[in-house]
Amino acid sequence: MTVYITSTGAFLPGPAIPVEQVENILGAVHGKPSSLRVQIQKANKIQTRHYAIDEQQQTTHSNTEMATTAAEQCLDRAFIHREKVGMLAVASTQGDLPAPGMASMVQAELELPEIEILTTHGICSSSIMALKAAWNSLRLEEHEAALVVSSELASRLLKKQRYEAATTSTFAAKRIDFSTEFLRWMLSDGAGALLLQNKPAPKGFSLRIDWIRGFSHAHALPTCMSVGSAGRPEDTRTWQDYDTYAEAEQDGALLLRQDVRLLDNLMRMGVDGYLRLVEEGVSKPSEVDHFLCHYSSHHFKNKILEMLDTAGAGIPEERWWTNLYSRGNTGAASLFIMLDEFLRTDEVSVKEGDRVLCFVPESGRFNTTYLQLTVVNG
Amino acid sequence: MNDGEISIEGGGTTTAQENAPEGIVLNSHAQICLQQLLRVWLGFERDLSKVPLLRRIDLGTYTAEDHQIFLRNIRQQVIEGSRWIARTASSFDRDYSEIRSSIISHAVDEHRDYEMLEKDYVASGGQLEDILNMERNIGSEALHGFLMHRSSLPNPIDLLGAMWIIEGLGEKMANSWAERIQEITGLSEDSTRFMTYHGHNDSEHMQRFYAILDSVCIDEKAIKSIVKTSKVVARLYRLQLEEIEYDLK
Repeated sequence: MTVYITSTGAFLPGPAIPVEQVENILGAVHGKPSSLRVQIQKANKIQTRHYAIDEQQQTTHSNTEMATTAAEQCLDRAFIHREKVGMLAVASTQGDLPAPGMASMVQAELELPEIEILTTHGICSSSIMALKAAWNSLRLEEHEAALVVSSELASRLLKKQRYEAATTSTFAAKRIDFSTEFLRWMLSDGAGALLLQNKPAPKGFSLRIDWIRGFSHAHALPTCMSVGSAGRPEDTRTWQDYDTYAEAEQDGALLLRQDVRLLDNLMRMGVDGYLRLVEEGVSKPSEVDHFLCHYSSHHFKNKILEMLDTAGAGIPEERWWTNLYSRGNTGAASLFIMLDEFLRTDEVSVKEGDRVLCFVPESGRFNTTYLQLTVVNG
Repeated sequence: MNDGEISIEGGGTTTAQENAPEGIVLNSHAQICLQQLLRVWLGFERDLSKVPLLRRIDLGTYTAEDHQIFLRNIRQQVIEGSRWIARTASSFDRDYSEIRSSIISHAVDEHRDYEMLEKDYVASGGQLEDILNMERNIGSEALHGFLMHRSSLPNPIDLLGAMWIIEGLGEKMANSWAERIQEITGLSEDSTRFMTYHGHNDSEHMQRFYAILDSVCIDEKAIKSIVKTSKVVARLYRLQLEEIEYDLK
């Protein structure tokens, strides 16, 4: 059974926040501006982003609300009745409730009766896990249509109060703690939704799903992005091992961390996975018309990418497209938000038969995911 | 991650300009070979993270004593390295005279590197006689045996696969490990000179490598032999780093 993405939706909360206003939203820790903000923002080149918290760090939209709003838009644009949707797959790094799964909450808001649900847990690649499961479900002909939603509300983890409460953490101990601040100036909020069907939409472009693949390297590489430990190699406790959650927070075990020293591995494993797909004949670099990458292209400008070009497996930069710089890095939601805009933007010319390669790497413990879509016209 | 603009602790800081390709266009067999060599390298590099001694570099728990163990265990391979390279050069007949010249000059560049390594050992707190008396570890025996065997065969073009791994590791030591080791152990630059030295002339080495690859990798058979040797060397090199001296005591 061939499966198509027949509709998309996205939701970005509040106004677009320019770089210099980001700290007004997340808050200056202990009233002092961050000494790393400008440097990190300059490096990630994100110009504007959105937050579901206000300048008092109060939540303006829950994660469930954002997911639901994106899903509603996706369903409103679809050519089928929502009763046809047999499955709802929802991905997020952290739903509003640790339990139950976020798909239950989103289903309730959408009022979709008696459907099959799936919540995937992870970081950026969790959306691809959800998409793959929904795709497979349609391929097995269990459903005619499935809704896949991904939503992220990272700002609640990044607001100043989190850092101020971490009084005995590495953040409090060091003058500069790159690992806890790096993602603070990187991630923001938003949601995206895709409708999958067993036939293309009767009008306009649909995206046929050709394949979805993923390669995880957790067996070999240490954890790179995480929440739940204090970030000291000698301390093996995770957040629930502390006597109280207050102690875990104090120790910095609830701060979002990125071991930036290990990040280089992500791009390397990304290249390895792509070369594997080329070797297997699954992807042909010369046949890729558009490359949508959940990663800033300038991070790839180094030796390994040049080697890829020398080896004849590079994808020319003019075929890369992203909205990361204007919509922000919304983690798992990024690719769906990107696909939604890709089909509507005037920046690229999309035509029937175009092949779209998507790449979503997850630094958590190095999971690299890829998918190929082909543009079809209903 | 090479951000170009921010220097993240321990991360490489080379800019795109420094590594700009110099316009080598490989033949299609050499391209496929390079694709496969890249995968062998990336897998090798990833799996080095599983070697307990090297994982401590990733985790920040590597000590000066670990550094001494590391140096003691790779010295033999560095000494033998110049031998197999010299033998490789002598195994090429006159149809490969260009390659022979290139390999000879490479052997001249590196044949006394082990002396630098011995000085690093002393600078990191080791006793000179300990490193001088260190025998080949179990992995070094296997690696050395394989390389001497292959380099003794006529026109051993497959050894390009060996050079790919060993040169790549030299570069990794220089760009990823040396500074990080200084940072976490408190050792001075004097302890990592062997590592940093190998970062020099990277770009020139790569161009030379591409040129040789383009000239010798002209059919399926060549691809297979080069890639296979790179896999064997990657595995045996890792074995050498896993089989640190405990079994010799």
